[in-house]
Amino acid sequence: MSTTEQPREPAAEPRPRPPAPAGVSPASPAGRLAATVERLRREVRTAQAEAEGRALIELAKGILVERLGCGPAQAARQLTELAEQAGVTPLEFAVEVINQAARDRVAEVTDAFLTAAAEPSGRDSAVRLRTAESGALAANDTQAVADSLLQHALQPLGAVAVAIWAAGADGSLTLAGSAGFSPAEAARWRYVPPEVATVARRGLTERTGQWFSSLAGTGLPTIGRHVHPDGGRVAVPAGTGGRIHGVLEIAWPKPLPPQPPRVVRQVEALAELCAHTLDTHPPHQAPGQEPRVLPDAAELMDLADGLHDPALVLVPHLDGSGQLVDFRIQHVNSRFLDPAGRPRAVINGALLLEAYPMSAGRSELFQQVERVYATGEPFRAHRMQLTALVDQVSLSAVADISISRHGNSVLLIWRIEDETARLASLLQHAQRLGRIGGFEENLLTGEITWNDELYHLYGRAPVPLEELPAHAHPDDAVTIGRFLRTLLHHRRPASAAFRLQRPDGVTRHIRVVAEPVLDTDGRPFVVRGAYQDISAQHWTEVALAATRDRLAHTEQQATERSRLALQLQRAIMPPAQAPLRVPGLEVAVRYRPAETEHLVGGDWYDAVVLPSGLVLLSVGDVAGHGIEAATSMVVLRNALRGLAVTGAGPGQLLSWLNIVAHHLTGAVTATAVCALYDPRRRTLRWARAGHLPPVTVRGREAAALPLIKGMLLGAAPEADYEEAEVQFAPGDTLLMYTDGLIERRGRPVEESLAHLLAAAGGAPRSLDQQLDLLLTYSRSDTDDDTCIVGIRVG
Amino acid sequence: MPIAQDPLSVEVTLPRKDVVLLTVEGYLDVDTATELQAHLANQLHHGRRHFLLDLSRVPFMDSSGMNIILRVYQEVRDRPGSVHIIDPAPAVRRILDLTGVSITVPVSRTADDALALVDRQPGESPGADEERG
Repeated sequence: MSTTEQPREPAAEPRPRPPAPAGVSPASPAGRLAATVERLRREVRTAQAEAEGRALIELAKGILVERLGCGPAQAARQLTELAEQAGVTPLEFAVEVINQAARDRVAEVTDAFLTAAAEPSGRDSAVRLRTAESGALAANDTQAVADSLLQHALQPLGAVAVAIWAAGADGSLTLAGSAGFSPAEAARWRYVPPEVATVARRGLTERTGQWFSSLAGTGLPTIGRHVHPDGGRVAVPAGTGGRIHGVLEIAWPKPLPPQPPRVVRQVEALAELCAHTLDTHPPHQAPGQEPRVLPDAAELMDLADGLHDPALVLVPHLDGSGQLVDFRIQHVNSRFLDPAGRPRAVINGALLLEAYPMSAGRSELFQQVERVYATGEPFRAHRMQLTALVDQVSLSAVADISISRHGNSVLLIWRIEDETARLASLLQHAQRLGRIGGFEENLLTGEITWNDELYHLYGRAPVPLEELPAHAHPDDAVTIGRFLRTLLHHRRPASAAFRLQRPDGVTRHIRVVAEPVLDTDGRPFVVRGAYQDISAQHWTEVALAATRDRLAHTEQQATERSRLALQLQRAIMPPAQAPLRVPGLEVAVRYRPAETEHLVGGDWYDAVVLPSGLVLLSVGDVAGHGIEAATSMVVLRNALRGLAVTGAGPGQLLSWLNIVAHHLTGAVTATAVCALYDPRRRTLRWARAGHLPPVTVRGREAAALPLIKGMLLGAAPEADYEEAEVQFAPGDTLLMYTDGLIERRGRPVEESLAHLLAAAGGAPRSLDQQLDLLLTYSRSDTDDDTCIVGIRVG
Repeated sequence: MPIAQDPLSVEVTLPRKDVVLLTVEGYLDVDTATELQAHLANQLHHGRRHFLLDLSRVPFMDSSGMNIILRVYQEVRDRPGSVHIIDPAPAVRRILDLTGVSITVPVSRTADDALALVDRQPGESPGADEERG
């Protein structure tokens, strides 16, 4: 046979002949197999004895070093002396020491060995137990097992080669030992990365024995395929106690007929034997191939990643003399959040005491980790005080702690009770992902706080809420006005969607959500909220809407009428019109259509310079809603413009307009105020047709003009209208408006008018600000069109 | 006062054959106006020429209420006929003045005053209906 190494010499200890399994002749192939299994078990055990004995003494020395606080040499002397005093061999004494120190998993793994060979009880048994468990045997033992398996158990079955694969925690396969394959082939197949499909992997993933009569039929690559392409192959998972440690792969030179169950069972027994070998003796790693982490740490890292609590995997960090000085943070899981807010990468790989210097302090976290590592006894604590040093400031957190030892590593789990840090981070990410920018604006101080995302969205310095319309698309002024009104006047949370026009020319679709924070008097003093970039959603919605429109044609027609009314309004009166250029006169206009589209109606405003140099100002309101009202509005507004060119006074103009209204189809009624302002004399002649009287503001005083006589338009075939004149002084303001601004259901008009006067008076502002303010703080609760015309005498 | 708990009530009497007196009680606004409109339409259908609206128990009226009054006014003007408003509350009176409706639609203190005005209207005498018929 060709092997990489000579078979190990049979052990010298007496070997009672194993009882043959019932019904199986010792001479039969199956009987030989059973005998081989038993012999191999013994060989493995004996082979371990010496090496493990040394390892056990070293381990005991280590415990004494830790317990007695002495050096290794002193511990060795101590061990010898104590063993002599106790009258036992140093090995037996070492086992005593270890057994006392560690109440751990010990025996389960080696149970299989012990039950097979009922050993005399007492110290010898304890030694064997620890021997099997310790795991310090020379690395090439699996190789020896492979050699023996092939020679004694498999060749009688006609097999020519065997491979023992060790399964890594990551699913990789390492060739732990092989016999019957050329050394070069074995070297080529020393490692199979995870997820590479081979015969052995099939055995691993299927978790049952895979019997292939011909390798060619599988199409799977594996070790030695070129030598025996048509030969039979078997891959049996090698597991103990529900855990698969590796795969036993056996090669035949020729196709393999189905085997009797007995043979199958014996092969499975061999695989289990391999499992013990693999479990006890981790596969040898060639120098240079040394993984960066120990296998048990790697497994623990996977475990940590599956936990829902922050977890750290710690491995001991020894100084030059082998003294434990610290723990290295081998891994932190994805839930881990540094209490000090440092990135995960900084913590990963750091030393525990370096990353958390305070853990050695009052919290005693380090001491607990040290103790758990030494004894293996897990530590659990509720509401333990943790202290972290953040920029030289110590921060305390209360956490539930769990520390446990796994192999050579320690798993530290903490659930920090105060989840603020975690939530803050979560919020940050959510904002980034959702393209949400948060803001807070102090209404008293004007101080504005924006988060980074918001600067990014806006591409500029903070914008106060009241200046929002200036940065939005002109068509969105109404929406924003309504938003501000709900927020600032009604003091309710509000939201709006608008088009942001950035200084760099980019237009973004933004949704803004905000709420007022009220002080103890119920007055808003801070507004906080968020802007979200919904450009992507917007275009999706546009596409969606287009599809929907095609599907719901009928519905569309109905809404189209409402939309048409709105479009008509907008065409005639853009929400933010270019200001009128009149020397010595400032003119501003506002139009806010009803929120509900079908309620959009017949409000109008007009401000135009006549050929005479006089300025025609008008507001009006056609009764009713929808497309009919809007059309009538257009007629009346344009008629008034045309009539005004005649040079007639406002009373006469309204008389004529009354006739126009009366003869319109459907006999509409409307109210209106018509005024002619003379910029040279600063006088205003005006008349009203059933409309609310204009308001003048001088300084901080606002007053309504008298209710001069004038019947609403269209009610009677003929009507006369009283005229009045007002003299203005520089700085005076005149406001004309429709009742959408003040109308409150169930309230007398005086009361509504009084509110308007209160709002219009007060601190002096620019004309534009004044109109915005009126719209924002209007107390109207009827969803109606609103128009305002304002002039200010320069 | 919530409007829903205070529905409009309209009481109809006929002091003359072609004169109807509607006594309205409640808020006359966009929610209740159709109720009054239904009564008025019914009376118009029966050929009444003179409409007396007692609004003394209407604490509030908005433009919807006013539009109904104007509509009746326009309907009966050519019959010829008239609309009279009786004893409006100050808030309602204010609306009538504001819109100038009180210029065209006479406001009386009592139903008798209004009836007296009807009787004094040119071409109007008891039994005028029969003459026309």
